[in-house]
Amino acid sequence: MIDVILDLKVVIHFVRDIRDPEHPYSLEQLSVLSEESITVDEKLGRILITFTPTIQHCSMATVIGLCLREKLKNCFPPHFKVDIKVAPGSHADEESVNKQLNDKERVAAAMENPNLRQLVDECLYSSEL
Amino acid sequence: MDFELREIQRLDGHTDRVWCVAWKPDTGINGVPAVLASCSGDKTVRIWEHNSIGSFQCQAVLEEIHTRTVRSCAWSPSGKYLATASFDATTAIWENVGVDFECVSTLEGHDNEVKSVSWNASLGTLLATSGRDKSVWIWEVLPGNEFDCVSVLQGHTQDVKMVQWNPSMDTLFSCSYDNTIKVWVEDDDSDDWHCIQTLCESNNGHTSTVWSLAFDASGDKMVSCSDDLTVKIWTDVGRVQGSHNNAPWKHVCTLSGYHDRTIFSVHWSREGIIASGAADDAICLFVENNDNEVDGPSFKLLLKKEKAHEIDVNSVQWNSGDKRLLASASDDGTVKIWELVRLSE
Amino acid sequence: MSQKFSATLRIGDLNDYIAPSQGCVVSLNSNSNRIDKSQNVGKAGALSKPVQKEPVKISLKDCLACSGCITSAETVMLEKQSLDEFLSNLEKGKTVIVSLSPQSRASLAIHYELSSLQVFRKLTTLFKTLGVKAIFDTSCSRDLTLIESCNEFMVRYKESQCASSGESKPPLPMISSSCPGWICYAEKTLGSYILPYISSVKSPQQTIGAVVKNYICQKLSVRPVDIYHVTVMPCYDKKLEAAREDFVFQVDTDSEKITEVDSVLTTGEVLDLIQLKAVDFQSLEESPLDKLFANIDEEGHLYGVHGSSGGYAETIYRHVAKVLLGQEVKGPLAFKTIRNSDFQEVSLEVNDKSVLKFALCYGFRNLQNVVRKLKMGKCDYHFLEIMACPSGCLNGGGQIKPQSGQSGKELIQLLETAYVENVVVSDPFNNPIIKGLYSEWLEQPGSEKAKRYLHTKYHPVVKSITSQLQNW
Repeated sequence: MIDVILDLKVVIHFVRDIRDPEHPYSLEQLSVLSEESITVDEKLGRILITFTPTIQHCSMATVIGLCLREKLKNCFPPHFKVDIKVAPGSHADEESVNKQLNDKERVAAAMENPNLRQLVDECLYSSEL
Repeated sequence: MDFELREIQRLDGHTDRVWCVAWKPDTGINGVPAVLASCSGDKTVRIWEHNSIGSFQCQAVLEEIHTRTVRSCAWSPSGKYLATASFDATTAIWENVGVDFECVSTLEGHDNEVKSVSWNASLGTLLATSGRDKSVWIWEVLPGNEFDCVSVLQGHTQDVKMVQWNPSMDTLFSCSYDNTIKVWVEDDDSDDWHCIQTLCESNNGHTSTVWSLAFDASGDKMVSCSDDLTVKIWTDVGRVQGSHNNAPWKHVCTLSGYHDRTIFSVHWSREGIIASGAADDAICLFVENNDNEVDGPSFKLLLKKEKAHEIDVNSVQWNSGDKRLLASASDDGTVKIWELVRLSE
Repeated sequence: MSQKFSATLRIGDLNDYIAPSQGCVVSLNSNSNRIDKSQNVGKAGALSKPVQKEPVKISLKDCLACSGCITSAETVMLEKQSLDEFLSNLEKGKTVIVSLSPQSRASLAIHYELSSLQVFRKLTTLFKTLGVKAIFDTSCSRDLTLIESCNEFMVRYKESQCASSGESKPPLPMISSSCPGWICYAEKTLGSYILPYISSVKSPQQTIGAVVKNYICQKLSVRPVDIYHVTVMPCYDKKLEAAREDFVFQVDTDSEKITEVDSVLTTGEVLDLIQLKAVDFQSLEESPLDKLFANIDEEGHLYGVHGSSGGYAETIYRHVAKVLLGQEVKGPLAFKTIRNSDFQEVSLEVNDKSVLKFALCYGFRNLQNVVRKLKMGKCDYHFLEIMACPSGCLNGGGQIKPQSGQSGKELIQLLETAYVENVVVSDPFNNPIIKGLYSEWLEQPGSEKAKRYLHTKYHPVVKSITSQLQNW
């Protein structure tokens, strides 16, 4: 396995250009995330991303979470443990969104849905900003 | 006494994460070679057999029926049938003839992902399934590979991660993303089924998703594991005390601090050893602690196998045969066969 | 999702794990581009948070068309089809007509320890006091539904006996269409293969809606748009049925849209009304019934078919046996319990050959089994009376709940008794009111007019992408 250096700069590098599912801007441009959103534990190989949805009732919060999860999965070796959360107080259904995003079975099922897969891929790879 | 969980073999073949393993009943005992089924995100099921030269080999690949992840698999008590639950909303029934497996029935009805399937232990006359649609279904197994739906149970408020029949009576248990375990029994007039007990936070239950549960050999004790990072032991007070009541299951003890990420699977060996597998890549083994009889039964860690797999351990299953064989399945795409061995002094 | 809906609808629901405010995708469709693409964007962080617009109002129709879920439908419904709405329409001076289902009357009868007929008379008093113009009886429109169903079945049955293999032949078994929970499940979850089996005849609720807004309005000399028509039903799912686009019509292309049934109140909501108005229901005066559209004979007896879920299987069975096979079935039909009390069948054999095989199939689990058989080509029934609720319509989600200490099964027993008590069993074909409708308006069963007013269509609902994106 290629040794990937795990640090903040690397993580933000990978996720900053993810496009928002609803808006033609990147997550960083929309202040959905920044360097402060990311916590990295190099020793334990853990990444925590705490993003801030644009609005309290953002219906696409779970899709943004899926995009982050998918991107990190593609960029880091599988033994890195990833947790994705919305920033405390930033979403009306904070608890349920967090629970869903960290249930790997739900995530796996979602990524098998062709429509969701397509949307996530567009957010990850589309350069049309 | 020191024990070691020794890796016997790593089984490669699946091309995606392996979700679940199931030993075929009555194999690995009395000279019958051990047989294991594993299912995966690669949409297939693999059957592994312990061959004459002492290693496990893939004997069959069950494919082209499920169109999405095969989430769990379960053998009928006789070992004649294998049921597989899939994210494609169906449950397939495979008949094992010699080395061949033929899909003889497909059960539809769940609105989306089926997550678990379990045969009742007595005769394999009932099959239970559960899924993301929050429901638990009970099917009656009829002659001619026919299945009739006898009940659709809608007590859970979130997706139902697992269903499991008690080994000594036809009582069904289900655990869910709604943090609860529910106990289901047949009505007195045998017309339908209903929930007699819900084990939740208020009766010392879990505080997050309950991923899995298992019984000891007698069916008097149950173990459950959760996203709350604990393993809990429960006992059937009703049966132990010989009384009939509406809340027969009571919390015995909680094992915490052993895994530091979601615990996905627990299994109880015939001789009483509990195995747990978790997202911290480790497998833990627990045994009953008889040192302290005063405070009632308690359990202690026998050993922890760190880095049992590269990544998450999704399923652990004891073989009930001659050797203390444990199978584990992981997100790393492999199945591992372990033997619990006692280290000589 | 609300426990009030039938279990069938609840299982058919996709996923309401996200709270309605977030889970509903209808608002999203109309509100998706919150940022104008041409808007000038500054550097990261400089962009102001988009302002949330007014929440979009969602109608029940939107919910039905959406396929996502009907989770948020309840709040929508409470607005559109509620007691408040009913009372406000009375105040507005609309011509309000109330049509009562016999199942609701039985439920109130048990609750108040009265007979169904007494309940009918007392409700007539209550509603007239509130200003309701007329109180009708859906067992009357049900007779019309049944006659049309008999006719449709005869046509299908005869065609099935023909050797010719026409592609467009409507298939057997014919499946009853009056349960909205079943229809919703069939359209949303089972999809297009099942729909041709379903009878095209409207339910008694929609039949009475069509009669009121197309025919009775003329009798009363009221414009259909000025009528506010409310049904009282044992079932929440009936609210969804009333809101279907198929049950809205226009006289001309540019005239106002007319809804057959404007609102549905459940039995429980009528109980709420009685309590709201602080009426002592038991001692309320009994008024004479509106004979214009109610199954009440000259001697003052209620009449109707046998069968507390509408009697579709039984009525069609007897009719076909008599008319087509020359066998008059005397006495009660010999229904055999198959798997449980909610799955029964009856068959007629001629020369040891089964020529008619009908089944009652209530509750979600039994529904699953017949659908499964049908899909595997192993269903040899000619007719299926499918109802989403176990025990059928008397056990509908809108009925009054059991008293404390009373089991659901005990209550059903009482309701079954109250339902048939002092109701004269009568052949729908002998109903003088319905005969009058055919001679003055509809011509004959299955006529072009009957098809236009009393039959409907079903549409498979394709899961919307938006709902999948949100509810995973």
